[in-house]
Amino acid sequence: MSVPLLAIFAIVGGLLAVVVGLRPQLTLSRGGKILAFAALFIVPVLSTWGSFEGHMEHAQSTSFCLSCHVMTDYGRSLQVDDPSYLAARHFQNNRVPSDRACYTCHTDYAMFGGLKAKIRGLNHLRIQYLGKVPKPEDIKLYTPYNNRECLHCHLGARRFEESSAHQKRPELLPDVKSGKLSCLSSGCHDIVHDVETIKDVPLWKGAR
Amino acid sequence: MKATRGIETRLRRASVLIAAGLLAQVLTFLIKHPLAFVAFLAVGCPLVAGGTVLFLLGLVSSVPEKSDAAGA
Repeated sequence: MSVPLLAIFAIVGGLLAVVVGLRPQLTLSRGGKILAFAALFIVPVLSTWGSFEGHMEHAQSTSFCLSCHVMTDYGRSLQVDDPSYLAARHFQNNRVPSDRACYTCHTDYAMFGGLKAKIRGLNHLRIQYLGKVPKPEDIKLYTPYNNRECLHCHLGARRFEESSAHQKRPELLPDVKSGKLSCLSSGCHDIVHDVETIKDVPLWKGAR
Repeated sequence: MKATRGIETRLRRASVLIAAGLLAQVLTFLIKHPLAFVAFLAVGCPLVAGGTVLFLLGLVSSVPEKSDAAGA
């Protein structure tokens, strides 16, 4: 549901609750009881659920992730004019949706992955406002990047399966698929955001 | 009579909590900031939850009093 619709729904629910609060004697009639049940239970519960979904949806947007100052350089790394930067290559070639660029790669494609990502996000907020914010180049992943997140999209794709680089050794692809060899390991796709070098790198002119 | 007043008081309190909670939720939509989500969770949701629980408690507690009145 869109944000304006959710807002209208919540406002109507609030007004109904006010009506019931100002005229509680309405509930003496059958119609009034139904109105009170709708105003004080059904509408608030549905509105809260819808609002929660709306907030969760917004929290997956690229603009949301980049709204913290410490993420500015990570945002710039999506616009770098150099295809060796993995994040830039994905962003500029629409391999990830531009409005969900961060979330697409930084969520776990497993049960409760989205929920875990949100809990980590709340922890980031705590650090932003109550803790010591690290320098962008000091920010590290909580755990090593899981190949599962790459394979979620690339597995089975011809360009991935038949790429000459992936066919160099017969055990390379099986090792990648089983997680023995990281996609981001040295010599492969090891330049991802590299924010420490971002200031010296030109940006793509056509970037959104 | 007392029971009716009690229910009315609960309805009023529940409606105040729910209206305030829904208003808080609408405000969090207008502000595009990560803290808006925290405000939604910390203010909007508890107010609405408190209001609906109060309303449901009012419904449950009103049932035996009504049947007493009918019996009398």
